[in-house]
Amino acid sequence: MSDFIQYFFNGLVVGCIFAIAAVGISLLYSVLRLVNFAAGDFLTLGAFITYFLSVTLELNFFLSIIVSMLAGMGISWFLELVLWRNLRRNKAGTLALFLVATGVALMLRPIIQFVFGTETRKFNIDILKTYDFLGARIPQTQLLVLIFASASILTIALFIAKARIGKDMRAYANNPGLASVSGINVDRVVLATWLISGALGSLAGVFQGLVQGQFNNAMGETLLLSFFAAVVLGTIGDAYGALAGGLLLGLIMELSQMSIFFGGVPSNYKPVVAFATLVLVLLFKPEGLFGYRARKV
Amino acid sequence: MEAFIQPGFWIFVLALAGIYGVFSLGLQIQYGVGGIMNFGHVGMMAVSGYTIAVLVIKYQWSFWWAALLGVVLAAFLGALLGLTTLRLSGDYFAIASIAFAEIVRYWILNSDDITGGTQGTLAIPNPDGFGGYTDQPDVILNWISDRLYPIIGDEASRDLSMVLVVWPFFFLFIWISSRLQKTSWARVLRATREDDDVPRSLGKNVFRFRLQTLIIGSVFGGIAGVFWALQFALLAPEDFLRIVTFYGWMILILAGASRVKGLFIAAIFFGFLYGATRFLEFWPLSLLSSPERAYLRVFLIGLVIVLLMVKRPQGLFGKRQEMILE
Repeated sequence: MSDFIQYFFNGLVVGCIFAIAAVGISLLYSVLRLVNFAAGDFLTLGAFITYFLSVTLELNFFLSIIVSMLAGMGISWFLELVLWRNLRRNKAGTLALFLVATGVALMLRPIIQFVFGTETRKFNIDILKTYDFLGARIPQTQLLVLIFASASILTIALFIAKARIGKDMRAYANNPGLASVSGINVDRVVLATWLISGALGSLAGVFQGLVQGQFNNAMGETLLLSFFAAVVLGTIGDAYGALAGGLLLGLIMELSQMSIFFGGVPSNYKPVVAFATLVLVLLFKPEGLFGYRARKV
Repeated sequence: MEAFIQPGFWIFVLALAGIYGVFSLGLQIQYGVGGIMNFGHVGMMAVSGYTIAVLVIKYQWSFWWAALLGVVLAAFLGALLGLTTLRLSGDYFAIASIAFAEIVRYWILNSDDITGGTQGTLAIPNPDGFGGYTDQPDVILNWISDRLYPIIGDEASRDLSMVLVVWPFFFLFIWISSRLQKTSWARVLRATREDDDVPRSLGKNVFRFRLQTLIIGSVFGGIAGVFWALQFALLAPEDFLRIVTFYGWMILILAGASRVKGLFIAAIFFGFLYGATRFLEFWPLSLLSSPERAYLRVFLIGLVIVLLMVKRPQGLFGKRQEMILE
């Protein structure tokens, strides 16, 4: 039982981070039909900027997170202005969008390495302090991440549901033609989507860095496919689905290590559980948990 | 600038260009003809390369049989990938194919007693304590450089022998592929790329055509893996990261997706980009340490991909319509 609680808790923490990253990817897909291959590196960037501000410059940790979210938004804004807007005007196809997103990832990664170095980093937070809960060891950092990440998820969900721009985003994703005819400013919607995904990327990066304890510049890249798995699991393009898919995938990945499941998956195969989930969902339920089979396959 | 004028540098560039050219040709057939966006192509290369290393080192197979089986397994993997996920629409298939290649890599990474794990093929446990797998083909490569030695002296390197082995195959494959693309088979595939329903209404089994394309492309990926294994004589899991597939894509979009003949120029450009960031010693490259140069290479490849897609999506030799009609 204490085993179950331990894995369940870990799964919740990981799942919250997946959910935050996945919702950014899913929103971008719904609005732009863009699979953001650079999403992973935005996580890395967020974690490194926060590290730089809070450890090297010794600023307040929360302030550092906010600045790094602003930086993620700034870079997304910049890329939208110089890159994505032009591609949209040129009516770039799926492949072009795929390759440009990958190209951005390939450029971002060396920049991070060049600016911040390749050493492994660690936030200035006590990662050893743990609480005991029904026999499970709950580290303080993970508990904090869980609390703040859940709060963020609620905020995101409320924002998409209630805020004016959130409604515009859903309308545009649902029917771009109709939305622009009824007076929704398309460029504003797209920009808002980029800003949200940039901010969420940085935030998820900080959370992931905290949970891992130490991180290097391959952190986000390694997780990218797991995020895709979460997005597809929760129906690609569905923001709420992505939140649920992220949580569910986190739980699947952690609980699969429990010994009652055929002795448990070895922990170094954890990413493979995510890839396999991705492939299985694509095979048997490509429309995801919450989609209906409208897509022509 | 000295390295620029040394023949050795250019020979290495050519050897690399030949290997990645064959690799990219597989993608060209898949995308240029069938419209399949395969982002897990590196998996085929990993499978054939590792098949050779494991069978030769661990089970003392002949290199040639191991290479043959490696290519067959790459084709088999292509078939498996296709049968399971090719029915998905383009962007879903692309994501699934990446996951596929990553599963292959994780398996290699974590199967220490078979593949040598993180330490690469040098760590494959073998009965009589030798870690190489290129002895048999090396006889041929040495024979070539021995013949060349009296004529060109020290430039008769193993790299040069590789160029002389790989490039005839590369030209042969380009020829085969350009013949293939004039057949009625390729015309059906081109039609499926624009619109599934028209060929379907003519009684063509669209899925089977696509599957064939995927398998043929995977065979080229497998052959590239054989050449790769031969060139570097040592394999490690980090040689088969996701990015390698994008090396192939860079070559492909540089050449123009439907232009087979531009491929070899694009491949040489890639070889130069790869080799230049590694070997050239002049300013400003001399300011960088060697890991920094590896980042520079990744950065430049990203930059080339982005610039091409924004400024010239049809590639240097391609038709603009081919990219836009997607």
